[in-house]
Amino acid sequence: MAIVTAVGCLALAPLALLAVTSLGRRWFWPDLLPPEWSLRAWQYITSSDAGVMGALATSLALSGVVAITAVLIAVPAARVLALRRVPCKGLLTFGLLLPILTPPLAAAMGLHAVFLHLGLADSLAGVVLVHLVPAVPYATVMLAGSFAGFDTDWEAQARTLGAGRFAVWTRVTLPTLAPGLAVAGTFAFLVSWSQYLLTLLVGGGQVLTLPLLLVSFVRGGDEAVGAALSLLFIAPTLVLFAGAARVMRDV
Amino acid sequence: MSNRVPFLAAVLTVVAMVGCGRNPSVEQETPQQLAKVEWPDIVARAKGTGVTMAMWAGDEARNRFFQGPVTRTVAADLGVTLRIVPVADAADVVNKLMTEKSVASEARGSIDVVWINGENFRAARQADVLWGPLADLVPNRRTYDADAGTRDFGTPTDGFEVPWEYSQFVFAYDSARMKDPPRTLDELRQWIARHPGRFTYPAIPDFTGSAFIRHVLLHAASVSPEVFAEGFDERLYARASQAALNVLREMRPNLWRRGETYPATPAELNRLFVNGEVDFSMSYGPTFASERIARGEFPPTVRTFALEEGTIANYNFLAIPFNAPNPAGALAVIDALLSPAHALAKIEAIGGMLPHALASLSEDERRKYDALPRGAATLPLDVLSARRVAEADVEYLIRLERDWRRTVLQP
Repeated sequence: MAIVTAVGCLALAPLALLAVTSLGRRWFWPDLLPPEWSLRAWQYITSSDAGVMGALATSLALSGVVAITAVLIAVPAARVLALRRVPCKGLLTFGLLLPILTPPLAAAMGLHAVFLHLGLADSLAGVVLVHLVPAVPYATVMLAGSFAGFDTDWEAQARTLGAGRFAVWTRVTLPTLAPGLAVAGTFAFLVSWSQYLLTLLVGGGQVLTLPLLLVSFVRGGDEAVGAALSLLFIAPTLVLFAGAARVMRDV
Repeated sequence: MSNRVPFLAAVLTVVAMVGCGRNPSVEQETPQQLAKVEWPDIVARAKGTGVTMAMWAGDEARNRFFQGPVTRTVAADLGVTLRIVPVADAADVVNKLMTEKSVASEARGSIDVVWINGENFRAARQADVLWGPLADLVPNRRTYDADAGTRDFGTPTDGFEVPWEYSQFVFAYDSARMKDPPRTLDELRQWIARHPGRFTYPAIPDFTGSAFIRHVLLHAASVSPEVFAEGFDERLYARASQAALNVLREMRPNLWRRGETYPATPAELNRLFVNGEVDFSMSYGPTFASERIARGEFPPTVRTFALEEGTIANYNFLAIPFNAPNPAGALAVIDALLSPAHALAKIEAIGGMLPHALASLSEDERRKYDALPRGAATLPLDVLSARRVAEADVEYLIRLERDWRRTVLQP
């Protein structure tokens, strides 16, 4: 119990520091706490002029679509990789992982050129597709792990007992895979959620996400706004992990 | 097969998204075509369109001003929807344009106006990724001095960018800690030697750090600093850089953490400064200290100074990318941003210097300008203009940054 508390405190300490930074004013060494408090940063990021709420909505929608699409692509891929005999399986897996093995900058610049050729640069559709490039490998690897422990005889048994294809899928396959799907979806969401370079290059600034704003402010040195945006950036991650943990515990 | 349904859904989603890709090639107006169009017609063409402007956006007050009042003014006066795209560095935009030029030079781009200067302008000109010349197409260009911004870090602008804002380098100190700040570069050197560990500057390639070492270059050789703006001279560089690099090497062991590490950005330098680890900060914006005091990021006792032998001052510029989707709208927006009314509103909202010729201000604007409050930490305009030197040719900058890396960073 003591260890859990200690780990919890360690995990929460940086968040508390961010919260204080976002609210502090004239906070210089050697003051332990800010001598003045101010809502400036929070007022700014919630004001309509800042565009933060729009970027938050874009990020949520974008990462949501990427997560769902990535899982949809990953389910059949992972099933085949985990359960079937496939020639050159090692090579296939390697190819699947290549996008996350190559240095991000090199991959991003090459993808930008490809997307320009396809006329997909500077559009939301292009950004969704380019986020899938790193998101799908993560989701597939996660799900392949789940499928490895999946016994297809359960499906066969349900069919024998008269269940239709759809019933087998919703009553047997999905519930068994739920934890894997939750984790894969969470990872795909977070991979997309934290993309900076791919969004910047392929979105061309037309697709404004939270990381783009966050990097601008942190580089610009406005610590209070940077801290407030960081907290906003972390929030969905915490919610998602709590949700995924719950799905895994329930099963 | 139970897994065919999601697979089909995925394929359909991807196909649907590819189908949403934009049609890339759209007729773009050339500068020659728009030169034949009367200004009111350009404004009429701009009406009802959208203009995308890429600008550095690391400053809350600046973002707030542009996303709010500027966007609203442009919408009300021109009927143009202005969209600000935040960029961390104008170099990102130039790189993007270069990729677009090499891959799909006929396709329509996404950015109509870009805030640019110096190295990025030179790179953009060399790669021929700017739309222009546009200077003669913008009526409010005439509210600036005719010779303002004809060169940008020594590179002739040739009308491919128009001067917009004006800036001058200043140092900041805390008057509560230091009564008598150095007045010249030589006094600063002596101060550093007497106070080891209390001074530093952002490491190259940071913009501000690079400007600091250029001051050493300009003032180390016993020539007028203005000659550095008149094109690159190999022999002058050899002489001046030797003196400057010697000064910087001599300074190094007395810098913060013995010069073994440097702050990477002005933001880090400011943090060291307010937390009392070093006694100076510096910026290419003469009102930066007043702005930071107002935001509670600097103590109210911070003041600024400019070297007696002069600090570097320069314009920064607006340009239109070669593949801008809406050049007429871009011209209309640039004209609005070059107006004295915009400059006055901006100084009032976020500080900065008036870039215009004072004579071009109307009586009303002049009265408004004289009545603008000046932050306590900002030097009076006459002091700044008396201590002003032109920005050196960009070749000096590139060579000095390279030699600094070779002989000061890793001696």
